[in-house]
Amino acid sequence: MFRLIGRHFKEAFQGIFRHFAMALSSANAVTITLVLVSLLTLIVGNVSQITKNLEESIQIYVKIDKEIDEAQIPALQRKVEAIDGVGSVEYSNKDQELDRFIAGKGEGGKIFEIYREDNPLSPAFLVEIKSGYTLSGVSENLSKIQGIKEVEYGGATADDFLRVLTTIRTSGYVIILALTLLAIFLINNTINITIHNRNEEIAIMRQVGASNSYIRQPFVIEGVFIGLMGAVVPALLTIFGYKYVYESLNGQLISGMLTLLPTNPFAYYVAAFLAVIGMVVGLIGSLMSVNKQLRWRR
Amino acid sequence: MVHLQNVYKTYKNGVNALNDVTIDIKDGEFVYVIGETGSGKSTFIKVLDGEEIPTRGTVEVNGVNVGKLRFSKVPLYRRTLGVVFQDYRLLKKKTVFENIAFALEVINKPRKEIRQRVREVLEIIDLTDKAKSFPDELSGGQQQRVTIGRAIANNPKLLIADEPTGNLDPERSNEILELLEKINASGTTVIMVTHDINLVNKYKKRTIKLETGHVVSDSKEGGYVANV
Repeated sequence: MFRLIGRHFKEAFQGIFRHFAMALSSANAVTITLVLVSLLTLIVGNVSQITKNLEESIQIYVKIDKEIDEAQIPALQRKVEAIDGVGSVEYSNKDQELDRFIAGKGEGGKIFEIYREDNPLSPAFLVEIKSGYTLSGVSENLSKIQGIKEVEYGGATADDFLRVLTTIRTSGYVIILALTLLAIFLINNTINITIHNRNEEIAIMRQVGASNSYIRQPFVIEGVFIGLMGAVVPALLTIFGYKYVYESLNGQLISGMLTLLPTNPFAYYVAAFLAVIGMVVGLIGSLMSVNKQLRWRR
Repeated sequence: MVHLQNVYKTYKNGVNALNDVTIDIKDGEFVYVIGETGSGKSTFIKVLDGEEIPTRGTVEVNGVNVGKLRFSKVPLYRRTLGVVFQDYRLLKKKTVFENIAFALEVINKPRKEIRQRVREVLEIIDLTDKAKSFPDELSGGQQQRVTIGRAIANNPKLLIADEPTGNLDPERSNEILELLEKINASGTTVIMVTHDINLVNKYKKRTIKLETGHVVSDSKEGGYVANV
């Protein structure tokens, strides 16, 4: 068993070294696509992070009807918590609301202190939503609860912004998938040529009694290795390039709210992801080519 | 060893390559199969090594019904044969040693055994000093000897040689024939397809002549002239 595996590896490496130009051109095809995959993965990763940060930082402000007295609050809070997508719920009574209001006005807020006696504000819940739920959807459900006067959040602007980010993320995934398929196609194409050049070799292997799986193994190992070779440059570019960008931007994009993911571990994960993609692409590409060649019937 | 009973082979394009061929070849024989181009010699080899299935009739080699072999069993069957081609079919990127060892690696023999056997084979084919050369560095005759070496590496009971001297000058052809005789003397049955009249007349052996897919003569004493 081990002897066989050893031989397959030996054959595979001999294949690579003795057809080095071919192996290199296959690897190059993978390199180019993986650089694009890397770029997109870095963007998508950060967009996801920013979206998540934003979603977590945006609260829904739920004003409670003045008619509701303190005793009814816990029951109402349970109703709010029961809504799909609601994360944490924090109760803020009339006085706390006034504190917040005054603090929000800054220096000029002091004049509102006169309302301490007869507070016109309503108590409220500060609701944070779970990720994966839209602000507008949750808000709409919240506004239907009896005893809720008004529901406020960043409104259409916040929603739109989040929607744009989500679109970037989703299209990023789609493009990554498409590029991966393209890489499979490219490696498959070049390995096809390699195998076509080695048609004679395969015929000889068959002639001396090699089984199909014996013929297939070295080509598959070769494909995986070529894929891995193709991933080296993109992986290094990812680690050092991202590190450079992260450091020169001080880890932020435009404002402190849009923070980038730190190089460690993010860039390393992406590099590992590229290596895995490279190998998988090599595996699938070579399997497809060699199987096509081995489809032989009497 | 080899038994063909009423074998027919018709290709999809309608060509009748073999017509009612019945041949019996015993263990340890050395047989020439001769004939013009298109006489069915190549198809004869193809039904023997399992590349083609006869349309009718049975092909039995060493107790195996070759026509009935499952696709997946063909590689296993081929390990019991040695096949030599006119165009050598050596792996260009492998050395002489590796080319011969390859036939044994494929069937997963232990490395030590392979090394020992390859050395023996190199001695038989008289190419010990060329072990590290690549095929392109060898003459045609030497390349053909490597092919023969690869074919006999696994001690096959049957060696099939398809025009082994087709690309060689008379002197090299004689060398190849003497090598095949040496292998035959050690007990291996040899079937050699050829149209080299001089060789057939010089090294007389049983000679089967094919013409448009029919066996037109089977002479025990051999010689080409006698068969025409």
